[in-house]
Parts: sequence; C-alpha cells; structure tokens
Amino acid sequence: MTSRRIALAAAVVAVVTGCATVPQKDYTKFVAAQPRSILVVPVMNKSVSLTASDYFLSTIPIPLAERGYYVFPVNLVKRLLEDEGLNDPGLVHSADPMRLASTFGADAVLYITIEQWDAKYILVQTNVTVAFSYVLKDGKTGTVLWEDHQKMVYASGDGGGGLLGAIISAAVTRAAPDYMPLARKANAQAMVYPGPGFPAGPYRPDEYRKDVQLPQQDASGAPTKQPASL
Amino acid sequence: MRGRVVVGAAVAAAVSACVPQTRYHWGQYDSALYQHYKNPQDREAYVEALKTTILEAEQLGMKVPPGICAEYGYALFEEGQAAQSLPWFQREKETWPESTVLMDKMIRNAQRRGTQPPPPATGPAGAVESRS
Repeated sequence: MTSRRIALAAAVVAVVTGCATVPQKDYTKFVAAQPRSILVVPVMNKSVSLTASDYFLSTIPIPLAERGYYVFPVNLVKRLLEDEGLNDPGLVHSADPMRLASTFGADAVLYITIEQWDAKYILVQTNVTVAFSYVLKDGKTGTVLWEDHQKMVYASGDGGGGLLGAIISAAVTRAAPDYMPLARKANAQAMVYPGPGFPAGPYRPDEYRKDVQLPQQDASGAPTKQPASL
Repeated sequence: MRGRVVVGAAVAAAVSACVPQTRYHWGQYDSALYQHYKNPQDREAYVEALKTTILEAEQLGMKVPPGICAEYGYALFEEGQAAQSLPWFQREKETWPESTVLMDKMIRNAQRRGTQPPPPATGPAGAVESRS
C-alpha cells in the first residue's frame, strides 16, 4: 500500500465517521426506476403520541426536496386524501401504491412510520426517543426502491448547574419536550448521500446519475459477489 | 501531489454532504406548517408564511421550492377564493412539470368551484374530483 493510498483510506475513514455510519445499500432498483417526483403520504403513527404524525410530516419536504426531487405539496395531498375518506394514515399506507401514484402523477411514494416518539423521566433525567421507518415504493410497480430506519435518543439532566440546575432543566423539558430537533436530525441522517439516503435527484444536475456506485456486473450480467457484511 | 488533490476534493465533497446547504429558499415554511398542525385555528400565519416564502424567493431571484405555490393556491382555494387559486396552481405546474397531473386536477376543481358561489367558510375543504 502506498502512502498515498493510506492517506486516502484515512481520509475516507475520518469522513465516514464524521457522517455517522454509512451502510451500503443496493441502489440498483432505485437507479433503474429513476424517480423524479416523490409523493409523501401522511405519516403512520405507532407511538403513544397523538399529535406526532402531523408534526413529523412538516419536517419531511425540505430535506427531501433538497436532495433534488420534486416533492408533492404534503398538506394539499393530506387534505385531498382526507376528502377521499382516507383520514387514517393507516388506510393510505395499506392502499395500492400504484393507484396512489397514478392519482397524483407521482413516480414514487414515500411511506413513513413513527415507531417511537416518547419521553421517559428517570429522577432528574429526561430521555427523549424518536424512531422512524422510511419506505420508498415505485409508482409503476409498487416494489420497494429504498428503505431506512432511524432512531435518535436525547438525554437531558446531565448538564451543569448542580442538582438544582438539573432539576430546573428537567422540569422545563418535562413540560414540553421538544421532539422536532431530533426528528430533523433523523431525517437528515436517513436522507444524506453518500450515506443511507437518496442519491441526487434530477434537480441536483451536477450529481444526478453520477453519484451512485452500483455493484460491478460480470459478463453474464450477474452481480459479482459482494462481501456478506454488505 | 495529484493524489492529495483527489483526497482534498473527496473530503470537501463529503464535508459539504454533511453540512447541509439549501438549494432553495424555504423561509418559515416548515415551522409555519408545524405551528398550523399544532394549532389549526392559527391558519393565517401559515398562509402568510407561504406567501412570504414565495416573495422572498422571487426577490432572491431563486426558483420557488417544490410544492409552495401549490400549497398557497390550495390555501386560497380552501378559503373560497377559487379564482385566485388558479394562477398559483398554474405556476406550480409551469415551474415543476412533475406536478402536472395533480395541478390539472386542482385547476379543474378551481374552475368548477369558481363558477359556483363560494362554500361556507367552515365547510369541507375542496374535494378532489371524483375518479372516473
């Protein structure tokens, strides 16, 4: 190994750790489908919070559109679905993705489920936890093009100010724990690329269709063997 | 030396991927939508934020982000201002051709509503046209 290679490897390692873990996914289907537009349907909520679904929906369009895709207006879409009698996001999630996509003219449909959105209080410490699953389905075939899962935990109460300071900060957090920064962080991690997220869409023309490394194909067209850990 | 340049470029690219730079001007869109969901009565602030985002993006000479003109048009539509909503649906469609199918539906809805007396303010929001 030349020193140049070592330097490159070290740089890559440093960058990778800086961006948290970067699991390698197979983007073959995603690239083949070439989605330009993404329909974000109302968020399904499996948490104990009654309001998390709408709150979380408000955090999705910006990071997704910034990846270079057309993102359908989430509030308009939600209201239209409600007018159609699909008030419960569970009904939308169980509906036929191809029919949904053709109704709205979308290339792909993004389904998000809140698995956890809660705060636990242990003495003077507050643990806020959010966990989400993200699934993107192709509008033409209904197949899963991409999926991800994120869990974020925030622990308060270990700050300075002695016991009194800790009690005060816990009380403030207990009154209104703020989930939104954690939710935004989860989205950022889920959508970043290079990383587990969305390769650049058509509105990032400099990177579009240039940033994805697909598995090498051998002469027969079959993917070459990948390490099992990937 | 060339290797160093490559490494430097790789690091710069990766770092810029970590530090988000926005391609669009979003203004207060997301926080206003959040507040609107938190307190649905507080609708004016949300509609105002949509309008401000559009105006600010125009002033900056930037493309209005995906969905914003459509959301603004729909807010007007929900308030019974069907005729005023039309140009916004049209603009979304022209700016973002991916929205054509949905915007054509919204335009037809608004045109149909525009020829009728406005619905009561508390009535159901404009229903999507029935599927054939």
